[in-house]
Amino acid sequence: MDNTLLISLSHQLAAIRSMDVIANNLANVSTPAFKRENVKFEELVAQLRAQEGDTSPQPVSFVQDKGVVRNLDEGRLERTNNAFDLALNGPGYFVVQTPKGNQYTRNGHFTLDPSGQIVTENGETVQGDGGAIAITPNDGDIHIAADGTVSGKNGQIAKIQVVNFANERMLLKEGSSLYSTTQTPSPATGTAISQGMLESSNVEPVVEISHMMEIMRAYQATASLTQQQESLLSQAIEKLGAPVN
Amino acid sequence: MRAMSIAATGMLAQQTNVEVIANNLANMNTTGYKQQRAEFEDLLYQNVEMPGTATSDSGTLLPSGIQLGAGVRTSAVYRIGGQGDLSSTKNPYDLAINGPGYFHIVEPDGTDAYTRAGNFALSPQGQLVTDQGFTVAPGIIIPTNATTVTVNSQGQVQVTTPGNPTPNTVGQLELTRFPNEGGLQAIGNNLYLETASSGAPQSALPGTIGYGMIQQGFLETSNVDPVNEITSLITAQRAYEMNSKVVTAADQMMSTTSQMAGA
Repeated sequence: MDNTLLISLSHQLAAIRSMDVIANNLANVSTPAFKRENVKFEELVAQLRAQEGDTSPQPVSFVQDKGVVRNLDEGRLERTNNAFDLALNGPGYFVVQTPKGNQYTRNGHFTLDPSGQIVTENGETVQGDGGAIAITPNDGDIHIAADGTVSGKNGQIAKIQVVNFANERMLLKEGSSLYSTTQTPSPATGTAISQGMLESSNVEPVVEISHMMEIMRAYQATASLTQQQESLLSQAIEKLGAPVN
Repeated sequence: MRAMSIAATGMLAQQTNVEVIANNLANMNTTGYKQQRAEFEDLLYQNVEMPGTATSDSGTLLPSGIQLGAGVRTSAVYRIGGQGDLSSTKNPYDLAINGPGYFHIVEPDGTDAYTRAGNFALSPQGQLVTDQGFTVAPGIIIPTNATTVTVNSQGQVQVTTPGNPTPNTVGQLELTRFPNEGGLQAIGNNLYLETASSGAPQSALPGTIGYGMIQQGFLETSNVDPVNEITSLITAQRAYEMNSKVVTAADQMMSTTSQMAGA
C-alpha cells in the first residue's frame, strides 16, 4: 500500500534534481562555451510479492535519475574584437596546463600574463606545440590563423594545440569551464580557430523555461497524488477502525 | 533546494554584467576609455555518480554519470584594448596615440601612471600636464614666447620663437607598453597603474616597431560601440529575468511540498 507514496517520492526527488540542473543551465546562459545538460531518467522496476488471487508478482516502477547528459552542440560565435578571444569552429578543445595536470576547455577567452604568456583568466598557460606560448611587445599585433598558428611582426611564434577525444561525454567537468579526463588526446581535425570571437553558451532559454514549467507541474501533480493517497489511507482507517455496533 | 541558490548566482552574475555595460555607456564620450566586458565561468561540480565508473564486472561503463553544477561566477571584467576613433580638435596640446602604447604620467606623489587620454594642457610654469595638472613625463617645458608648438609622429616636441626661423626641439615624448595590458589597474581619471600582472613597463620612441605614432590635434575617442552595448544590455536583462523565474518555480515547488505536509 505504501508503494504509491514511495513511487511518488522517487519522482519528486528526481524532479528536484532536474530543477537543479535547469537552474545551473540558466545561471550559465552567459558563460562562454557552456554546454547545456539534461537529466536522463530510468525506470527502476521492483517486483512485489504475489498476493492472494494474483497469478504472478506485481511489478511497480520507480523513477531514478540515471545520468546528466551534456549536449555537445556548438554555441553561437559572438564577436568581441579582443585579440586573445578565440572560438573553436568545430569539435575540439584547447589544452590548458593546471596544477592538476593538463585540462581542456572550449572557452577561448585568454589573456597575457606578466611574462607575456597566453593564459586563461585563472593564469593557467595555454599549450602550443612546444608548451606555453610567449609573446613580446615587439611582436606587434598578434594574428592567430584558423589552424592555430600564432604570428606577429617577426613571423611565426607558435601553434595553438587543439585536441579531441574518442568519447567527449566522458570528460569530467572541473568548473571554471575546464574538463579533465584520463583519455589520450588526439589532434582535432577540421576545426578552425576564429580570432576575436567567443563561443557562447548553447543554453536555449525557451527550452529551459518550458522544461522548468513541465517539471514544476509534474511535481505538483505527484504531490496531489500523495495527498489523495494519504486521505484514502486516513478514510480507510476511520471507516475500518470504527467501532462495530 | 539547490535550484534557488544556483539561480541566485545567475542573477548576481547578470547584475555585474549590467553594471559593466552601464559603465561602458556612461563612458561613451570619455577620451581614451576602453570598453570593458564581464566574463563568466561555471562553478564547481558535485560528483554524484562519476562518468566512466564500471556498471558491471564485464567492463560496461556509466556513459555520462551525474555531475551537479553549483551555478556561475564572474571570473573577470576585462578591458578590450581596441583602438578608438581619432577625432580632430585642432588643439596643439591634444595628442592621440595611433596604435599601441601609453603616455607616461607622473602623479604629484611621484607615482608613475599611464594613460591613453592625450588631452594635455600647460601648467602656469609652461610645463606639459594632464587636465588634472599631473606632469607628462619627462616634463617638457614650452617657452612662454613660443609661437607654434609641433609634436611630430615620433613624439619630438618642437617650438618656434619669434626672430628664430628654425624650430627648436624642447623635448621628446616616449610611449610605454606592458606585456599584459589587460593587467593594468584603472584608478579613474583615465589613468592606469602598473601591477604584478601587467608586467614591467617598456618604453620606446613613438613609431618604433610595436608602438603607435602620435597625432597632434587629435583625441582618441572611447572604443565603446553603443549598439553592441544596448544589445548586451537587453540580453543581460532577459537572462536576469529567466534566473528570477527559476527562483519563483523553485519556490512554488517548495510551497507544494509544505502543503503536502499540511494535508
